[in-house]
Amino acid sequence: MIADLLTAPAWSALLAMAPDAQGAGGSHAATQVAHGPGWVLLIPFLPLLGAALCGLYAAMGVKSKLPAWTVIGLLAVSFVTTVAMATGFGGADGAAYTVKAFDWIQVHGEHNSFVANFSFFVDTLTIYWMLFVTGLATLIALYASEYMSHDVGTGYCRFFAAFSLFVFSMACLVMGDNLVMLYLGWEGVGLCSYLLIGYFYKKPSAVAAAKKAFIVNRVGDLGLALGLYLTYVHFGTVEYAALFANERLLHYVELAKTGAFDQIPMMAQGIPLLLMVGAFGKSAQFPLYVWLPDAMEGPTPVSALIHAATMVTAGVYLIARFYPVFLASELALPIVAWIGTITALLAATIGMAQFDIKRIMAYSTVSQLGYMFAGLGVLTPTGAAYHTLTHAFFKALLFLCCGAVMHGFAGQLDLRKLSGLRRVKGWGIVSFGMLIGCLNLAGFPLTAGFFSKDTILAEAFVTPGTAVIGWILIITAGMTAYYTFRVFFRVFVGPVEYHPGDEAHDHDHGHEDHGHAHGETHTHDAGHHGDHHGDHFHPHAPGWAINTVLATLTVLSIAASGLYFVGAGEAHGTKTKHYADTMVSASTAGYHSPYSEHAFHAEHGADHNADDGGDHAAPHAGVGPRGTIDEPLMLLGKDPHKIMYYVSGVVGLVGIVLAWFFHYAGRKTASECRMDKVARLFGPIPRWAENKWYVDEFYNATIRVPLRVVSHFFHWFDKLVIDGVVNLAGLSPRIGGWLIRPSQSGVLQGYAAGMVGGVAVLLVVILLVVRFGGGA
Amino acid sequence: MIEKLPQIWPELLLFLTTCVVMLTGQWPSAPIRRLTPWLAAVGLIAAGGASIGAPAGDGLFPGMMVYAKVLTAIVGLMMLPLLAGTVDRELEAQSARGVPFQPIRSNGAEFYAFFLFSLTGLMLVSSADDLIWLFLALELTSLPTYIMVTISTQTTRSQEAGIKYFFLGALGAAIFLYGFALLYGASGTTNIPEMAAYFRAEGLGPIGLLGVLVSLIGVSFKVAAVPMHFYTPDVYQGAASPVSAMLAFVPKTAGFLAIFMVAGVAGWGEDQRLPAEVDAMLWIMAALTMTVGNVLALIQSSVKRMMAYSSVAHSGYMLVGVLAGPGAEGSPFWRNGLAAVLFYLLCYGVMNLGVFAVLASLERKGEEADDIDDIRGLVKTQPVLGWTMVICSLSLLGFPPLLGFIGKVGLFTSGVASGNIPLVIILGINSAIAAFYYLRLVAAAYLEPASDTGFRPSPYLSRQFAGLLSAGGVIALLFAGSGLIKAADNASRIAPPDGVAVPAKHHDAGHTTPAEPAHGHASQPHG
Repeated sequence: MIADLLTAPAWSALLAMAPDAQGAGGSHAATQVAHGPGWVLLIPFLPLLGAALCGLYAAMGVKSKLPAWTVIGLLAVSFVTTVAMATGFGGADGAAYTVKAFDWIQVHGEHNSFVANFSFFVDTLTIYWMLFVTGLATLIALYASEYMSHDVGTGYCRFFAAFSLFVFSMACLVMGDNLVMLYLGWEGVGLCSYLLIGYFYKKPSAVAAAKKAFIVNRVGDLGLALGLYLTYVHFGTVEYAALFANERLLHYVELAKTGAFDQIPMMAQGIPLLLMVGAFGKSAQFPLYVWLPDAMEGPTPVSALIHAATMVTAGVYLIARFYPVFLASELALPIVAWIGTITALLAATIGMAQFDIKRIMAYSTVSQLGYMFAGLGVLTPTGAAYHTLTHAFFKALLFLCCGAVMHGFAGQLDLRKLSGLRRVKGWGIVSFGMLIGCLNLAGFPLTAGFFSKDTILAEAFVTPGTAVIGWILIITAGMTAYYTFRVFFRVFVGPVEYHPGDEAHDHDHGHEDHGHAHGETHTHDAGHHGDHHGDHFHPHAPGWAINTVLATLTVLSIAASGLYFVGAGEAHGTKTKHYADTMVSASTAGYHSPYSEHAFHAEHGADHNADDGGDHAAPHAGVGPRGTIDEPLMLLGKDPHKIMYYVSGVVGLVGIVLAWFFHYAGRKTASECRMDKVARLFGPIPRWAENKWYVDEFYNATIRVPLRVVSHFFHWFDKLVIDGVVNLAGLSPRIGGWLIRPSQSGVLQGYAAGMVGGVAVLLVVILLVVRFGGGA
Repeated sequence: MIEKLPQIWPELLLFLTTCVVMLTGQWPSAPIRRLTPWLAAVGLIAAGGASIGAPAGDGLFPGMMVYAKVLTAIVGLMMLPLLAGTVDRELEAQSARGVPFQPIRSNGAEFYAFFLFSLTGLMLVSSADDLIWLFLALELTSLPTYIMVTISTQTTRSQEAGIKYFFLGALGAAIFLYGFALLYGASGTTNIPEMAAYFRAEGLGPIGLLGVLVSLIGVSFKVAAVPMHFYTPDVYQGAASPVSAMLAFVPKTAGFLAIFMVAGVAGWGEDQRLPAEVDAMLWIMAALTMTVGNVLALIQSSVKRMMAYSSVAHSGYMLVGVLAGPGAEGSPFWRNGLAAVLFYLLCYGVMNLGVFAVLASLERKGEEADDIDDIRGLVKTQPVLGWTMVICSLSLLGFPPLLGFIGKVGLFTSGVASGNIPLVIILGINSAIAAFYYLRLVAAAYLEPASDTGFRPSPYLSRQFAGLLSAGGVIALLFAGSGLIKAADNASRIAPPDGVAVPAKHHDAGHTTPAEPAHGHASQPHG
């Protein structure tokens, strides 16, 4: 009530500035979406409860694993609720519904209103995303319960509070029924990411990484905020139900189908450009990707959940959710496609030259996110979403395996200092998990990653004007396979050799008695491994929690390929190919409908095939024919997906073979391999790649240093000039006071004279100046 | 007159209570004497209750009666616990030791009776529909306060303050009485709605204009606006804190109601602006009042003087609302400056009370706290008083989201809507200046280390209770904010002119010259 009061005048002014939105409220009333069951609210609010409980535990000084079990339990219930939501929804035929928690922002003007309730929008896309968010969160929380066990106490509570809060924020982001909720979640996940990257807040590099992530994300968030504002100004609503049924938007999509972009107002075309800036920031796309590799300073479960599987896919979600808005822009999707492609290639080149296995995984995440964006850009939100899902599983698996290595080898992540872990006792599950993860990432035939990547690649070749993107992505796929198996062949197979990291004493694993110099080499013969107990570093094999989670994720990563063959159905009258396709096509991301059947089909002939990127100058051709399941577009007279099976399968295998040849075959020690000689042939290029092409240095020189100079200038300007003026201004009332003070003499006659004199002066001034001076 | 009876039941009830209180206040038996404040409370509750059901008034603002009377009753009730222990302390102490009670030396009866009289006067102001009534009601509001100031402490300072207040008050009354006479002379009627209708039909004319200007300046004595503000610091400082708290609310409210009526007689025109001269004068007064009040408050070290000057400044803020006027028919409440003023009066009454309650609750050998040093570290030494000080000061400063902020928002929005942008900017600058000294209060109470200045909590714990009520009100009323503003909006709507007959004076008197009305109408009542 009071909020209404306070905001009313200010908002009225804002509303008055939104003339475009006049009358847009009409469509608002027309699209009432059904209200769903209230128990859906459990999905976001249970993790929130978990965060609150962890805060309470911290205050109570709990020194056990209670926070972990609380959060795992609540997340598990949240996941089960999500499954119930999914099964209760009725597949692609189910109607989207909203569930309102409470009224949040409601400002009603004379012609328009601004409504953003704290309510949740459930459609197939929401369900699809929430299934892996809550599922993975539960698994990774279980993993973290063991991984973080050295920190039991306040830090443990803090970790799980932020972890749980992250899931709440992510649920708000994905499930919110309006852009403001999405923004709330967006900032919420950003905050949690910041908190968790900086978890080891005594470590300067962690603090710097946290700040970097936060600040780089601000750039993106500004775009999102402006996009939100323009969405409201132009469409008159930020609620999905009203927005995606907005007549104006539907009309734009119709126009876009015929390529008549000149009839779509620039403001509408600008909205996706702003929104995508937000997506680039959060999903670490070029040029805003630099924060993600540094974010690996956080504990590995965080890297796995937030910086690989869920949060960084928020950008993909945003674009998928707003796909109609993106379609209505001539430039938006081509830009998304190109940015994604450039990111994929750039990150892959950097990943090939890194030595820190977690960093390699980080760059591969950036690269794979680039694939997803490219998928969105080449008109296959299905491919993007499917790759998001498979990537979520296998990348979480890869990170958790790396985390297990880091956990077990005292923070050692350098692939030149680890070798042959497969044969170290207790590391079997980790090594097998790693193998499965690597096969997926490399796109080994018949793995989930293979199918999802192929979807994107094939569509890149059949969407007119994007064949160049397809070629770049294929080359990138080969590089991906190479750097992935570089890790596997170096670390997990080959001669057994390991050097502990520098955290040997930070961990409370009962190994403190092995006080010896770090970095000492321990070359183990498999057979003599046991002899080194007691006087040498002994790797700490993962316990049951980590192994359980790794095993589960391994199974899930394998099973995800099965999703390619199940769940085919129909969405909005169009046949769909598999589960992800069904879920995406039935949501707002499915542009086949409800906007119209076979959108973008009629105007461009189906023979408009794999022409090369030459006509990219006419980007509206980017919104081209899509074909259907029964009538697929042809590439060289074949189904492009089938062609891609062979092409990308071969490329992936070539990458693996190269990695085998250079990093495994004939390798005698952990640090030396055939690649060293080859690398020398390339001159300084590998070093440049290792140094990330000096992008950070470039940003430092072009942005940070100038900013620093400017801010120093303003600091002194502020201190000398502004403060001087302000102090002077602050002094002037005081001087005024001292000047007037004598009038308060305390003498009665003086006061009376002052009053009468004041009356006289006032009257004279008013009568002479205003009345007779022509002022009236 | 009898037809007015249903409207003034609250006043009658309060008057009746006053009579009873005057007796019980000097009753020989101590338990009955102790009953006095409770009886006053009963009277206030009855009056407040009676005013809720009262019919709309005949005045220019038909809805104002209910709002103003309920407001009076509520703030009066909040002040009652603060008044405890102000007078008759020694006498009661002696009486407790067995010395027979000497009514002739007692001030208790007068004190409570005059308090209620003053509130009765305030209620009567709100029901005034006639200039004579308005004048008498205003004086009934003020006269008791002169005496209350004088008897509030045993020091000569109070007596000096009382005398000053009385003489200057009489001067102010003379000025606005002169203005009222001019108004009557120009319009030929003392009935306020008729007068407004007359001026609306015939225009103000030179006499009417002078009448409005002089009346406004005179009445502004009650609200302590420049140039009638000189008395405030001396009187506030000389009086005991509970009386100062009352002075900051009761005469100020009466004054603003009277200003509404006089300004309403001049009328907010089609463009929702007062006649140019009136507008210009109020503009100058508003700007001067807030600036002078704030810059003088800035250099005080006496909290009471600071609060006195801040009271001046707050009057200046509220004059912005008067300038903005009630807004056009059907315009939203945030356009309504008068509603903003009425709501701000409530806010001011509630939050101002707390600061004085804190001062009144700290004593050193019967002396009240006054210097800013006396409240240092209060949050640590006396948490209740300290937090009351912090909350009320922040609210007075207009710190979001406290009550004072919501009150000020209305003044700002109505000022902006009426196009008085420069004045709104001055208001903003002044709010910033005010932040200096209010934050000094907050910092002294909250941040600075406590130093023992010998001040101890007053034995009259009800004073702390008054402070608690005030701080609680600052927060609790937030939740009633939109309802209260709607009520203030209703209260400040001007009666539609259709029902009022335009007096025919103009036609029989012909064109008026300045000399004519003086003798022309002394003998001739309006037609």
